Amino acid sequence: MKFFLIASESAEVLFYWTDTEFQLNVREHYGASQEEGHGLPAFEDSISTLFAPIIISCSTMADRESECYTSFTTENNHIYVLHRFDECLYIAVNGDGEEKEDDLRRKIYVMKKMIEVLFGMVTLSGNLLKKELRPQDTEHRARLWKHLQGLLETYSNLRENDQSFLVEAVERLIHPTLCEQCIEFLERPLVQQINSSVERAGEEVLHAFILVQTKLLAFYSSRNASTLSTSDLLVLIIMSQNMYPSVDMDDHAAEDVESTSGSGRESFYTPEPSSSEGDSISSENFLRVNLPVFEFVDPDVQMAEDSLHTLDDKPPDPSTPLRVFLEVSQKDRLCPMMPHSMYCLPLWPGITLVLLTKIPNSAVAISVYTFLEAFANLEKRLNENKGISTMHDVHNKLDKFIKALGRSEIQSVQLQNAWTDFKNKAFARGGTGFTKELIPCCVNMKTQLCGIYRQCFLTLSRPSAMSRRLSPGLQERAQVMLREKLVDWKDFLLVKSKRNITMVSYLEDYPGLVHFICVDRSTGRMIAPSFSISEQTTTELGQGPVAHYIKSKVWSLVRTTRSYLQKGYSTVTLRDGDFYFCYFLWFENEMGYKLEAGDIPVQPDESPPIGVLARDYYRNLLRYYSKNLKGEAVKCYELLTVHLGVIPSEIILQHCRQLASKLWEPSLNPLL
Amino acid sequence: MAELLLSDGERCKNFFLYDGSRVRGEGDLTREGICYFYPEQTPLDKQELLCGQLAGVGRCISEISLSPVRTLQLRNSKFAIRMSEDFLWALGCSMEVPTVSVCDLLDELISLFCFYNGPVRRIYQLNNRELLAARWAQYLSHLLSGSSKFNHTFSRLKTIDPTNVDPLLLLKAALILQACQRCPLVLTGCILFRGRVVSTQMSPELTMKVMVHESETYSEIQRKIGPSTFSSSGGAVSSTKVFLTSSELHYLQSSPVNKDFSHLTSHKDAPKKKTQLSRTLSDTPSTNSDLTNQCSSLLPQKVSLNLDWSESEHSMFSSALGTSNPLDRSPQSHKASHTNRKPSGEEQLKELEQDIWLRDSEQSIRDSHHPTNKDTSFERVFDTRGCRNVESQDDETAVGDRGGSCGSAPPFSGAFDSLEDDSLIPMMLYMHRVKELVLALLVEPRFLSDTASMEEVYHSSLASLNGLEAHLRAICPGAPVAPELYIFAHFDLIQHTLTSNLSGRPGRTPEHSFVRATSLLHSHFCNTETLQEAIIRSAGTAVYGTRSVAQETFYQQLGPSLRNSGIPNHQDSAFSLPSKARHRLLKHGVNLL
Repeated sequence: MKFFLIASESAEVLFYWTDTEFQLNVREHYGASQEEGHGLPAFEDSISTLFAPIIISCSTMADRESECYTSFTTENNHIYVLHRFDECLYIAVNGDGEEKEDDLRRKIYVMKKMIEVLFGMVTLSGNLLKKELRPQDTEHRARLWKHLQGLLETYSNLRENDQSFLVEAVERLIHPTLCEQCIEFLERPLVQQINSSVERAGEEVLHAFILVQTKLLAFYSSRNASTLSTSDLLVLIIMSQNMYPSVDMDDHAAEDVESTSGSGRESFYTPEPSSSEGDSISSENFLRVNLPVFEFVDPDVQMAEDSLHTLDDKPPDPSTPLRVFLEVSQKDRLCPMMPHSMYCLPLWPGITLVLLTKIPNSAVAISVYTFLEAFANLEKRLNENKGISTMHDVHNKLDKFIKALGRSEIQSVQLQNAWTDFKNKAFARGGTGFTKELIPCCVNMKTQLCGIYRQCFLTLSRPSAMSRRLSPGLQERAQVMLREKLVDWKDFLLVKSKRNITMVSYLEDYPGLVHFICVDRSTGRMIAPSFSISEQTTTELGQGPVAHYIKSKVWSLVRTTRSYLQKGYSTVTLRDGDFYFCYFLWFENEMGYKLEAGDIPVQPDESPPIGVLARDYYRNLLRYYSKNLKGEAVKCYELLTVHLGVIPSEIILQHCRQLASKLWEPSLNPLL
Repeated sequence: MAELLLSDGERCKNFFLYDGSRVRGEGDLTREGICYFYPEQTPLDKQELLCGQLAGVGRCISEISLSPVRTLQLRNSKFAIRMSEDFLWALGCSMEVPTVSVCDLLDELISLFCFYNGPVRRIYQLNNRELLAARWAQYLSHLLSGSSKFNHTFSRLKTIDPTNVDPLLLLKAALILQACQRCPLVLTGCILFRGRVVSTQMSPELTMKVMVHESETYSEIQRKIGPSTFSSSGGAVSSTKVFLTSSELHYLQSSPVNKDFSHLTSHKDAPKKKTQLSRTLSDTPSTNSDLTNQCSSLLPQKVSLNLDWSESEHSMFSSALGTSNPLDRSPQSHKASHTNRKPSGEEQLKELEQDIWLRDSEQSIRDSHHPTNKDTSFERVFDTRGCRNVESQDDETAVGDRGGSCGSAPPFSGAFDSLEDDSLIPMMLYMHRVKELVLALLVEPRFLSDTASMEEVYHSSLASLNGLEAHLRAICPGAPVAPELYIFAHFDLIQHTLTSNLSGRPGRTPEHSFVRATSLLHSHFCNTETLQEAIIRSAGTAVYGTRSVAQETFYQQLGPSLRNSGIPNHQDSAFSLPSKARHRLLKHGVNLL
């Protein structure tokens, strides 16, 4: 029984996701209380009524005690986790024991991250975000929610079944020569050709990568691109998985012939037979993929609703990119939520080429971000009664910015009014000056800036925006080029993605070793023996209960070690049942010299869950650790091992040490 | 075992009992529903806010999940919740207290209240709130008082330091209790000295409850008459009404000698896997497992000291036998009557001698089979006394079961029961005080009107109690131990006793980090049944924890901080902690082998 809700302070449902069991539960609840003949209320309304007391109590506690509920458990082991981000309250519920409190908290943070990637800086204004998440048009709302629900489901699926989403690091296919060839291919003919083509309509490919299922085959970044952060990359993988779900090995052969000929996205869609959610969700997925096809038939409808439409309202044309907002480092500073276009080009089922492009007007985003930051700072300082910066630099820049906007098609009247109002209050003689009374103006300015940002980057169906993208022909050429390149490798890659590295190759050197995961946190990459426990394929762990047991142990081990890491413990060994588990986190410098373990800061219980997707804990940790190291580059590694309990602990530790030093040897580690 | 006084307010933030049935209508004020709120000086509007919001949210969640709320967390505090009928109890602690411990503490508090006051709904109908508020305050302060740093992690029973006491005194105390039990109206008992347990026949939970009344009367008497003088007889005996849950009562009424598994399985609150209870609660008069080791190491010739047992005790035993009929004591016993027969005093002493001899000889045989299982032998002593014929099978099942089961700590049973009104059965708590020594007996209500039985119990135990008191008083506290290079904490999950060498100096970092690690590991042990050992290491400290069905032990090496890189290294000193703990803790009577 699972449930997820985003609600406004006034208990308005901004988004929800539920499994069938919870849905039935709610229906029964209302079936019992509803008079005969009155028909059930809409599901959304039922939820709103059910949860309203909790949501309102949350607001009361926040207002009067500046406290917030973070979790509830009941005697039948239902868990409720709550978190408030500004004006939105996120609630995640589990009643089947499959998720623990930590998982639910993580789900909330990941959902927030995905919303940020989809809506960018609009998320900084509570009011705009509410409108964005709950569009007036019910059809539009249903479509948007379905998209978000799909993302949430895809994420949950991956977290439960994919080791790279368990530890939140990207897994690469281990095949150095092929990887290198692909990277070169991406660089030389592919990206080069696209970026020099006239059909790119002002867009510029910054990153290109090939995914085989969820694993990375090759990743290329153009020279002037800033690095793509691991958390962004993981979200992009979730999105591409949501569009083209992983296919089961046994099915893809049948699909082959068909899919190489056609390029329609629906032909790639194969409902996963092993999907845990059952049929209802698969069919929903199917609908989601198919629905827009019919819409596109009538372009007039699209135009008419134009202004309401946001990103999800994309025309079904597969060549239309997804708008994503990613972190970019610009001149030594990080700019979060910069607009990019994401093109997911399926090569074969399970193999996808992803292109990330810089869009022509992205400079506006940087300006907006600068202004937003300035006003947020001002607001903070006004609140704290601290010394006020006079905002003169912003003054001039904003004047110019508004003037420039006036020449474009963007409606900037409201921003202009807000700015005039601000100037009158802050700078003019009769105004209030920089006092607390200026705060409402600050807030208004921020909202207006977010509004501009929304107009620039979230209304994709505007005709001018439609033309600004890589032409379908260009996209198709890229697809064809890569297909030609990889056609002989296709089957190999699909098998390889299921058995990237296998435990068998380690058994001789490490008797008693059952499983391990090694993560390089400085690059966000991980290595682990494949762990597929599907019914058809037998793995080294065997089939059925043993494999499932070990899998559940590995999953709970990761959860446990994170809880210790949160409290500052970087080494953990556990004797649990018949197994012996180890966890190590350590630092090295560039030369591979082991650095002394430093104190790891103790995090409060309510801090974001340790990981990468939700908030990059390891990046902060590295920053914290290298503070005293005078700019020396520091690497951070994690190793988890599972051994049989009968192996003496000295041997286990020797194994761990050998693994730690061997795994990242260059032979195994192709350059990116 | 030094204790650290920690301000309780830091850890326990709030406690309240809220009666939702009083706040039904639109105009009803939230304050009407507040039965008790701690801290009492909290402004009323804040009390109302917390009670109203928590009760409202609690009810809402319960409706969605069709189950009462158990825990609730805020950003800065966590609450254990109990909901029953219209009542809602909430106990709020700071975040570093493990959630399991907060829940245990609340259950303990509620069951304590029910033990002395009976069903909550009824007592609130009979009495005014102020009176009952005083009682909540009293129980709360009792549970929170005397806190060591571990008090909030482990709910523990305070015992006299067994390393300091002649084991024979403990044996004597146990015999006094057995003698009292010969009266059919006496269910069970315990002997307390200066607020610490000397010997108990009850479960740790029940002993804990009884101790509350003892400490209360003790402080009252001290207030009235001054600390040194106690009236010799009349005022020394007191009694109070108490309430047992049906499961507690059922357990007590079954024969104390033969509490075999057939009884336990019918025990409502003890699922089968928790059979380890049988071992300790069977008839074990001692309070500490350390003690059991000491007892079993007694040499046979030492038993001759038993001759010091005074003449009066002999007569006490025989007279006791004269008035009571041991055969009809335990109506619910499924065993043949002869197994329930209690031997007379003389027999008993004789058998004790025999047993110790027998045990010693058997011990050597057994040791070849179970070289490490010392306390098995102890159980044998007391089992064999009662039922020599069936001993061997019983013993084997006990050993086998212990090896096979891997349950968690026995929960505080009764808390749940006590919320259901009908399951509480009134009993009497009889207390006989000899200066700072108290004999506390749980008796049938009839006992107090039965003058003959009462006098019988009083006179038969008076002399021995006096003797015991004199001996115990003469014991001087043990010499201060030289500071050690390690810290440890050993918690006996069955007897709820804690052994630790944590020093009294507050705020020392190694100790603080040790306590923090302990509470993390303890919650982990509680949540993962299969977990046996763990080593966790931060940059400066490494802590080792190990758990079995019977105990949890935590160990940290002090001294210069370990230099390490965090990379796996078998020479790392953190990984030698298990063997160090095994060796070092032997001298504290903690056997991890």
